[in-house]
Amino acid sequence: MNVFEKMLAIDRRWIFLAIGIAVIVPFFFPLGLPVVVTPPVEHLHEAVDRIHPNDAPLLLSIDYAPATLPELEPMAMAILRHAFERDVNVVVMTLHPAGYGLAESALLQAAEEMGQEYGTDFCFLGFQPGTSAVILGMGVNIATVFPEDAYGTPLSEIPMMDGVRNYDEIPLVISLAGWSAAEAWIYYARQPFGQTVGAGVTAVMATDFYPYLSSNQLVGLLGGMRGAAEYEVMIDRMDKGVQGMDSQSIIHIMIIILIFAGNIAYFGARRRKKQEEAEAA
Amino acid sequence: MGTLIWTTIGAILTLSVYSFLYKDNPFYKFAEHLVVGVSAGYYLVIYYYNFIDPNVVTPVFQLRLGDQPIGFGSGAWWLALIPGLLGLLLYTRFFPKVAWVARWSLGIYVGGYAGLGISPVMQARVIEQIGANALPLTSVTNVLIVIGLLGTLAYFFFSMKHRGILGVFARTGIVFLMVGFGASFGYTVMSRISLLIGRVSFLLHDWLHLV
Amino acid sequence: MKRTWLTFLAAAAVATSLLGAAVAQEAAPVVEEEVPREDVPLDTVAPAAPGALTARDYLDSNDAGDKIELDWELSPDDGAGSCDVAGYFLWRSRSASSPGEIVAELPSGQTHYVDRNLEPGAEYFYSITAFDGTNESAAVTCAPVAGRVNLFQTSRASILALMLVFFGLVLVFTKLAERGDELFVRRIPGLNAIEEAVGRATEMGRPVLYVPGIGEIDNIMTIASLTILSHVAKITARYETPLIVPTARAVVMSAAEEVVKQAYTEVGQPDAYNPDNIRYLSDAQFAFAGAVNGIMLREKPAANLYMGAFWAESLLLAETGFEAGAIQVAGTAMVSQLPFFVTACDFTLMGEELYAASAYLSREPKLLGGLKGSDWMKVVTIALVVLGAVLNFMGFETFVNWFRTQ
Repeated sequence: MNVFEKMLAIDRRWIFLAIGIAVIVPFFFPLGLPVVVTPPVEHLHEAVDRIHPNDAPLLLSIDYAPATLPELEPMAMAILRHAFERDVNVVVMTLHPAGYGLAESALLQAAEEMGQEYGTDFCFLGFQPGTSAVILGMGVNIATVFPEDAYGTPLSEIPMMDGVRNYDEIPLVISLAGWSAAEAWIYYARQPFGQTVGAGVTAVMATDFYPYLSSNQLVGLLGGMRGAAEYEVMIDRMDKGVQGMDSQSIIHIMIIILIFAGNIAYFGARRRKKQEEAEAA
Repeated sequence: MGTLIWTTIGAILTLSVYSFLYKDNPFYKFAEHLVVGVSAGYYLVIYYYNFIDPNVVTPVFQLRLGDQPIGFGSGAWWLALIPGLLGLLLYTRFFPKVAWVARWSLGIYVGGYAGLGISPVMQARVIEQIGANALPLTSVTNVLIVIGLLGTLAYFFFSMKHRGILGVFARTGIVFLMVGFGASFGYTVMSRISLLIGRVSFLLHDWLHLV
Repeated sequence: MKRTWLTFLAAAAVATSLLGAAVAQEAAPVVEEEVPREDVPLDTVAPAAPGALTARDYLDSNDAGDKIELDWELSPDDGAGSCDVAGYFLWRSRSASSPGEIVAELPSGQTHYVDRNLEPGAEYFYSITAFDGTNESAAVTCAPVAGRVNLFQTSRASILALMLVFFGLVLVFTKLAERGDELFVRRIPGLNAIEEAVGRATEMGRPVLYVPGIGEIDNIMTIASLTILSHVAKITARYETPLIVPTARAVVMSAAEEVVKQAYTEVGQPDAYNPDNIRYLSDAQFAFAGAVNGIMLREKPAANLYMGAFWAESLLLAETGFEAGAIQVAGTAMVSQLPFFVTACDFTLMGEELYAASAYLSREPKLLGGLKGSDWMKVVTIALVVLGAVLNFMGFETFVNWFRTQ
């Protein structure tokens, strides 16, 4: 077996082990690689900055499930911290059944950190299935879709929801989703009602959303843990997003090296085989 | 202490799933079946208390746990009953003799959502994109975008053979498609790595408190 | 050779995109802080009144007639002159004889406001004054205005026009297909690849594995996949090649059983149909992938066909099949999974090619009509993009703006 064939025959479990080590080491020895902020993240940050404090609320739709938590929860925490730091009122809801617990957990953690009061500074509407029906219904009257918040309090009794009838009173909706919910907000809130929409999605889906960004149907976009890291840099509060970037960068370099090595091994083995066949003939 | 137990259980399940990387084993199988069962049960409860109860059961029967008399609800209770019944009829698909009834429900459901979606999807994915991509050819980026768009559309044109100028655009389109797939692949790799980083962070920080 | 080249290209693109993410650059940009507007000390002299006030019915997506849009010119003392305007009061009344009530207190520098939640059709009288904290200017009024419910949203006329064009095209071609007219659809290269794969499996005496995805029966990709399954089943029936169809949904299994049985009957080989080869494995995504991998390793199919809706399990399946040495053809419209199939399979039907293959094989009028309609809609789109680009280049943006509905 020549060297190229040996390279191709490497047991993939050694590669898994190498990647595992590459992920773990930066947690103990952080490299502190800088995170460059890209325009889509900047624009979303500016959109949140434009919201008046203690006035019309930001609507944050936390539509992710545990499977996409590592990428999307850092986004939720960063956006909530940004909003609370500026005293922007926040309404949180979810369109995913598994998102209920996750949304509540992120919201209450951020609110406690920033000393926010339920009902005055933030509220949690809970979960409603039906995605498109929910989004369309909220464009007419939020109270018909969510007559009460997640804890059974009628919306009319929540001080910060006074005067907030539908999207006319909401300056910005941000959807954090690992499925088609973010698109649904564009289709059913942005298009019919002209609602300004921003999105945070997993990196897998980010490429699908750039057309919406370039056609100004999205005001800003966070893509994956990288997007969360950039937002954390913008609000100057480093957390899990930035923490993961060192590991991310190391593994990317590793994968690039493996891709080159794999291609060299593949073409080398093929060439060697042809040479051997030519010699044999 | 209570948090430690649940965190430890989560850590054990995480490690059980990752043990598949070495080889398939009973721990992995157990963890996978557990997640399927737990999520099914969890979703059922969430759907019932957040949707079926407030939108169907309560309006129709005004049933509340403990503090409301049983009786028919508000005047428009039948508005909740009809979609509720249509939803139940979907289950007839499991009985071959009456499976045809499910098609009525499915037809209303699919038709309704298709109707809701046609206009906004057309607007967001076609019309706004025409407006955004009809760019003046004054920069390299604009030229690439327009050529990539035209080439990709030409590649997916099935009414003529890919010959002549159409063939040229189609071959250009496939190049842009492959570059796009490569970028998408790169993003997907990034996403999967991020999920791994998240789990390692959970194990090292939340469970072992090493970092 | 083609696959090698495509693999190399995809690998190069992957490397480039990852390299871009990994290269260290300069520090993050400084976020500029907003400099708050300094409050100008107020005097006892009232500021000059604002300029002309105009009010009109606000045209928006809802067309409810419940909003009125107001514009005015800044007071000469706003940012100039005595520079003491702190803001503006917007007054609204239902009669000309009374100033009514203040509906909005607006900051200095603002010249636009939308008054909401009004009664459609009711006439309102607006006036605006500038204030400096102690004194208020004279009021500037405008003609009364009423919000009108608009039956037609002219800013969205492009949507109506293009939808009519699209539906018209689909209907026309569907009718032509129903009438029996010959509608040309070019042969999808992937279909040749499928037949080649099945032929190779027959030569090697090994089965064909057909995976119809993990989507539900109402998923359009699953429906297209079942049409292609019928075609594949006819070929395998003709050559007496075993066909294994693992499914992840019970209803899809029932549909696949019917399709395969029907195909075998049409070819005259009803006895060759083996129902044990149509298998429901698991609803759980990765359990299904694991089970299919097991079939690949144990029963060693020579041809693997993946047609339908796939998610993250796509690469697990395709990679195992590649390692097992099978010839693989995939078809899916899941854009996020296409890169995996392109790199691991010998041929991939991308996106609409899956539906085109299904229409080509079945010649079903509705499928053909939809395909031809969307084809010619692409021609319309190309024409509009080219025309828009040329007009944009010449400085005429009105045409392109017609498509920007927000």
